[in-house]
Amino acid sequence: MSKKRGIGMACFFYGTGYGNGFPDVSTATVEIHDDGTATVRTGAVDCGQGSSTVLAQIAAEELGVPYEWVTVITADTDTTPDAGTTAATRQTYASGNAVQMACREAREVLFEYTRTILGVNTIAGLVAREGIIYVKGYPKKQITYPEAAARARLAGCRLVGQGTFVTHTTAVDRETGQGAPYWPYAFGTQIAEVEVDTETGQVRVLRFIAAHDVGRAVNRKGVEGQIEGGIAQGLGMALLEKVHLQHGRIVNNSFSTYLIPTTLDMPEVQPLIVETYEPTGPYGAKGVGEPATIPTVPAIINAIYNAVGVRITELPVTPEKILAALREKEGEQK
Amino acid sequence: MPIIGTSPPRVDARSKVTGQAIYPADVNFPGMIYGQAVRSPYAHARIINIDTSAALEVPGVLCVLTARDIPGHNGQGVVYQDMPVLARDEARSVNDVVALVGATTPAAARAGAAKVKVTYEELPALLDPIAAMQPWAPRVHPDRDNVIYHLPIRKGNVEAGFAAADVIVENTYRTQLLDHAFLQPEAAVARVDERGHLVIYVATQYVHWDRTEVARVLGWNQDRIRIVAPAVGGAFGGREDMTLQTLVALLAVHTSRPAKMVLTREESFLAHSKRHPMIMRYKTGATRDGKLTALEAEIIGDSGAYSSWAPNVLRKAAIHATGPYVIPNVKIDAYAVYTNNPFTGAMRGFGATQPPLAYESQMDELASRLGIHPFTIRWLNAFRQGDITATGQVLESSVGLIDTMLQAARAAGWSLEELIPGGKQDE
Repeated sequence: MSKKRGIGMACFFYGTGYGNGFPDVSTATVEIHDDGTATVRTGAVDCGQGSSTVLAQIAAEELGVPYEWVTVITADTDTTPDAGTTAATRQTYASGNAVQMACREAREVLFEYTRTILGVNTIAGLVAREGIIYVKGYPKKQITYPEAAARARLAGCRLVGQGTFVTHTTAVDRETGQGAPYWPYAFGTQIAEVEVDTETGQVRVLRFIAAHDVGRAVNRKGVEGQIEGGIAQGLGMALLEKVHLQHGRIVNNSFSTYLIPTTLDMPEVQPLIVETYEPTGPYGAKGVGEPATIPTVPAIINAIYNAVGVRITELPVTPEKILAALREKEGEQK
Repeated sequence: MPIIGTSPPRVDARSKVTGQAIYPADVNFPGMIYGQAVRSPYAHARIINIDTSAALEVPGVLCVLTARDIPGHNGQGVVYQDMPVLARDEARSVNDVVALVGATTPAAARAGAAKVKVTYEELPALLDPIAAMQPWAPRVHPDRDNVIYHLPIRKGNVEAGFAAADVIVENTYRTQLLDHAFLQPEAAVARVDERGHLVIYVATQYVHWDRTEVARVLGWNQDRIRIVAPAVGGAFGGREDMTLQTLVALLAVHTSRPAKMVLTREESFLAHSKRHPMIMRYKTGATRDGKLTALEAEIIGDSGAYSSWAPNVLRKAAIHATGPYVIPNVKIDAYAVYTNNPFTGAMRGFGATQPPLAYESQMDELASRLGIHPFTIRWLNAFRQGDITATGQVLESSVGLIDTMLQAARAAGWSLEELIPGGKQDE
């Protein structure tokens, strides 16, 4: 038998946000229109990871309207406020908080007017769900969002909100490294199963289990997509990818020589979403963008060790390195 | 129906699936010109002369811009503006753009770029970060030490910690230079609008930061610059530094015509940052019953010729060097170092993606020496709520590590009764 299977696990923690006292700020605005729909404005760029969708969900939840009633305008310095970089696993957390704050402010203006129509003594007695505002504990007494918004506007209310969220971060001491550099932290565990061909040195990844503490998943499919993509990127780092240099020049600057994983290299991935509810996050959410890729390399490395007993310390793990390590191990045993 | 925790269709799903999404490469304007950069073929060279005359004779070529055509500050960078937009006297890496051709067609721009005659004097290049750290090494940047950043983390007493250890594992780990390999190569279009404002459509991660950088290079006020990110085809950290933003801005302002640049995959590799290769020396100690006693780690990251996010990336590497474990005695030193290699910067995980190779390999090696399961050694040391990190930070809320360990182990079919000392899963 030249093919041997092994299982490896890896854990990680990851401080999200810019960190180290850097100003980590996101601002968003929202305007509720006469018909109950709303426009959110945020500088946050959606690079494909899904932040615009997540921010629309948070706005819809906070306003109490259907998801389809929310439009998110992003990434234009003339029309949207600064939301910080799409980086550091921070947009769901920082911009999610900013959008939630903006929507709360606009909704409270609407509720202040609506409570006078419904005869409620405080906005705490009002709830909005799916485009209907009703009295808490007495849902029969209600008004539709469009009617409330239109009447509020005629009464001179302007249903506009702005939220600015600042992530807590404290610089570390330059001599001792002591401090509270990041918040919140993400955690997770991945387990990989691999098959190592001891004749060719080739490693095939057969299966990945990936459990990630995301605080709360705002969009479950989005979280699962990030986990699968993160594992793909980590698999490339573990087994395939390297920019080769000769005298400082990049010699493999194309995908025929810089190999990234394709769907055929991808194992079955079982994402497990762990929700711990982060009290400072929007609806308890932290982030998952970067964390998804962080434990993938050592899970594969440890699985290779489990399969054939060789410890590879230099990436990527090419078949040549596996074979050399196996030969060395055989030599030691003789 | 709740909205949080469900999976409604993505707001951009329809436009992307039907091909209607507008990426910057899809943006066109009448009279638009095209740019082509001339990059240094050398990792380190003195620029003796740039002769643009032959390039300017190529039909369709409108301009060849060099460092002296920059109206504002010839420097860009997210922390230090140590990267020239157009290199003047010296090329410090193969990323360096030496000249910029503007032409009426992409082919004319390429033909013009091929005719720009740059006379270089090749200089010795510093390609090894450890050599670059030595006090006698020549400086990559005259005004800054090659060691851009050093962060020490000190907690407890590592000598005492190793003395208390029954087993000590020492290894050196190395990670490689990586590309982000995002789907959409760099693309940008700049245009001076009817108000005299400069509008740039670009695939980026942060429009407001791009505005700051472009304003500085042009010497313009920020209210006259508008940055718009249409659809972006992946980023992973590779779109945080200036690549085309400042170049198309120079072309549009210089020619008063809309200017576009779209990189090939081959040039994309040269244009944007890479993941820091790291050399990580690790020494980890544990007691016979699997408790970690001490960690000593030295992490060296190659920043290449420009700093980009180097201090922040190596800081993040240092802060995460312990892994998610309680270690009472810690001595960590992380260094970011200039060389003449292609510059490195942000990439998914930002310095916290490299150390897990080291700390998680060490955990398995310790487990193997102690004859305990990899799950068990992690369980014994894992962060729980209220635990304190190597930087002294108290983990006050949402510390889900052991929950993820339990769920993953169950999915793998592992017997938790055997793996957890005492068999207790709930704490």
